[in-house]
Amino acid sequence: MTMIVGYAPDERGKAALHLATMLSRSSGEELVVCVVVPAPWLPGMARVDAEYREYLEKTAEQALDLARSYLPPDVTATFTRHSARSAPAGLLEVAEQYDASMVVLGSSSAGAFGRIVLGSVTDRLVHSAPLPIALATRGFRIRPETKVRRLTAAYGGSASAQSLVLAAAAIAAKFGAAIRIASFAVWSRPPYTTRLGTDSEDLVLQEWIAELTQAMQDAVGRVRERTDEVPEVVETVIGQGESWPDAIEDIGWDEGDVMVVGSSELGPVAKVFLGSRATRILRHSPVPVVVVPRGAAEDLADQE
Amino acid sequence: MASLVQQLFRRKPVTEMAEETGADTGQTELARTIGLFQLSMFGIGATIGTGIFFVLSEAVPVAGPAVIWSFVMAGAVAGLTAICYAELASAVPVSGSSYSYAYATLGELPAIGVAACLLLEYGVSAAAVAVGWSQYLNELFDNLFGFMIPDSLSQAPEQGGIFNLPAVILIGLCTLLLIRGASESAKVNAVMVMIKIGILLLFIVLGLQGWNSDNLSDFTPFGLSGITTAAGIIFFSYIGLDAVSTAGEEVKNPRRTMPLAILIALVTVTTLYILVSVVAVAAQPYPEFDGQEAGLAAILEDVTGSTWPATLLAAGAVISIFSVTLVVLYGQTRILFAMARDGMLPELFHKVNPRTLTPVPNTIIVAVVIALLAGLIPINFLAEMTSIGTLVAFLVVSIGVMVLRRTHPDLPRGFKVPLYPITPILSIVGCIWIIQDLRPVTIFVFLIWVGVALVWYFLYGFKHSHLGRHEHVGLIHDEEP
Repeated sequence: MTMIVGYAPDERGKAALHLATMLSRSSGEELVVCVVVPAPWLPGMARVDAEYREYLEKTAEQALDLARSYLPPDVTATFTRHSARSAPAGLLEVAEQYDASMVVLGSSSAGAFGRIVLGSVTDRLVHSAPLPIALATRGFRIRPETKVRRLTAAYGGSASAQSLVLAAAAIAAKFGAAIRIASFAVWSRPPYTTRLGTDSEDLVLQEWIAELTQAMQDAVGRVRERTDEVPEVVETVIGQGESWPDAIEDIGWDEGDVMVVGSSELGPVAKVFLGSRATRILRHSPVPVVVVPRGAAEDLADQE
Repeated sequence: MASLVQQLFRRKPVTEMAEETGADTGQTELARTIGLFQLSMFGIGATIGTGIFFVLSEAVPVAGPAVIWSFVMAGAVAGLTAICYAELASAVPVSGSSYSYAYATLGELPAIGVAACLLLEYGVSAAAVAVGWSQYLNELFDNLFGFMIPDSLSQAPEQGGIFNLPAVILIGLCTLLLIRGASESAKVNAVMVMIKIGILLLFIVLGLQGWNSDNLSDFTPFGLSGITTAAGIIFFSYIGLDAVSTAGEEVKNPRRTMPLAILIALVTVTTLYILVSVVAVAAQPYPEFDGQEAGLAAILEDVTGSTWPATLLAAGAVISIFSVTLVVLYGQTRILFAMARDGMLPELFHKVNPRTLTPVPNTIIVAVVIALLAGLIPINFLAEMTSIGTLVAFLVVSIGVMVLRRTHPDLPRGFKVPLYPITPILSIVGCIWIIQDLRPVTIFVFLIWVGVALVWYFLYGFKHSHLGRHEHVGLIHDEEP
């Protein structure tokens, strides 16, 4: 299997390359670094835009040369340029052509460093791709030799979340990484005017945690049952906070961490469609995130 | 027989309560950051609810202009009970209501009784507040668009309507918010308090133009008993002083701050209420209050002769009553949640939706019941039921303070009632005095209601109580054999 890296010769592309290096080093998969160039208008006509096309191709080649120089020697990669009507469409075409397992992309340059920000290309892909999309945080860099150490599956408690956990376990097994299952409780203290004390919400929170811990334990049990190669550590954790960033920060993150989120149940079955919670998790994640569409999650879960 | 009594008065160990609420997980270890000013503002903000917006039309016909004294009386009793509440809250470090305190100090049976009162204090008051909202909404519509919702859709059946639709819609909207998991932020809260105080000040300043001493000449047409009866009705508008007590663990130097904050809040609120009622009773003869809807707005319109002040007041009332309804509904669902947690109610009440992190079935059931009350029952009855429920709950709290001093004199208390035992005794006497002057029908319905709660306890809670089923031993702080 291969992973497609959507590359552009700038800071975003560099973050995507670093993430792809880490992922490929962990799973042993080959990389296909791809630059998408605009397709010519009305093919077959007199080549009125020949010079422009030459320029595009030259730029693409330069970009790929640059990418080649960034990639460390222990990663096998091929480099390609692809003409397509749009960047997202082009990347999906290449992914299909190589039967890729994942598309790796960088964050938009319009956001904060260390966070994931969706740009026009990534936004469209996370809402329409039939395969998992890995997103690097803005300015993501790895040390030499860094591999994926731990996968964190964001667990929502629904039926599709169960298959997401299995899919994450399958990915973790492929990467040789540990897995942890995480849920996030975002709540705020009730106003003093309820006259129940500001900690009156704790009772509800405890109940929720008890129920969810049980569900997550069941999910762990299913991971152990289904997969032969159980990822080495399977742990469950609940992040609490009064806001999403607090709750996500609460569970602690290390180098080599990658988060896995699933697509919403509202979208078409086979494609990624980010729900409200996945979007928030994506926005505040301090580590790269793999977005798995529901269909792909079920496929991955069935593989084992 | 002895064992039955033991069961009826079994108490929930405090340590277990603390575990359930996650007190040991670090969630509730709060820094002592609240000072005197902030705490007083809490009290003022929580107390100036909405009662004052419609309680005059119920209380003035009963007491006449002497309703001013009813405010003083209700305020004094509310202050005494709030001080007792503060001691109990500091001695029993659990989140929640007087239900939790009663369960920990007095036992299971009294706790159920208190829970029945709390259903009135929260649930019924939510209905009363929603009905008041519909009056002000109608006033606002009339002033802005010259259009009024017909009586058949904005009045309870007893008052010539079919169903109070706006009140039901309000409760529906609040329920949607609660199910989604919205909570009012401190900022929104502060804005709402400002709106409420602003409206009352507006009323006082503009209403003074209509001052007519003739209206005050017959000051006490119904004597002392009229004053106490009205105090019973008015008590409703003092609910909230106990909010000060629930902030106990976050208060700096609680021994000094707590009683001072209660006092400051009490004096401020009472002054504001008295000014409002003086202006109101001086502006129009007392018999005119009877049945007057959206009272403050209507008086303002008569006095100023123009509609904009009334429109402004009605708009402010519509906004702030909305937030009060939301908060009271929220409180009701969380009290029922705690009861279900103890096994006193079916499991359904403590099911939490994993997505929204809110008790959805609980919220829906509460909303349906309160919507029916708000749709079908007139406001004066709802207000009186709320008052009697609150008074009895406070009565039990005051008794609880004395019981706890007897049974557990060494229990660490963050705050102690000053002038013990005079304060709790005065509080008890005050509550009883006001209760006995309420309308007989109110007391009668209240007794039936408590009876229903006890029947429920013996048919369901007695057997399902988690305390009973798990045979937990060890009473409060393991002091007793």
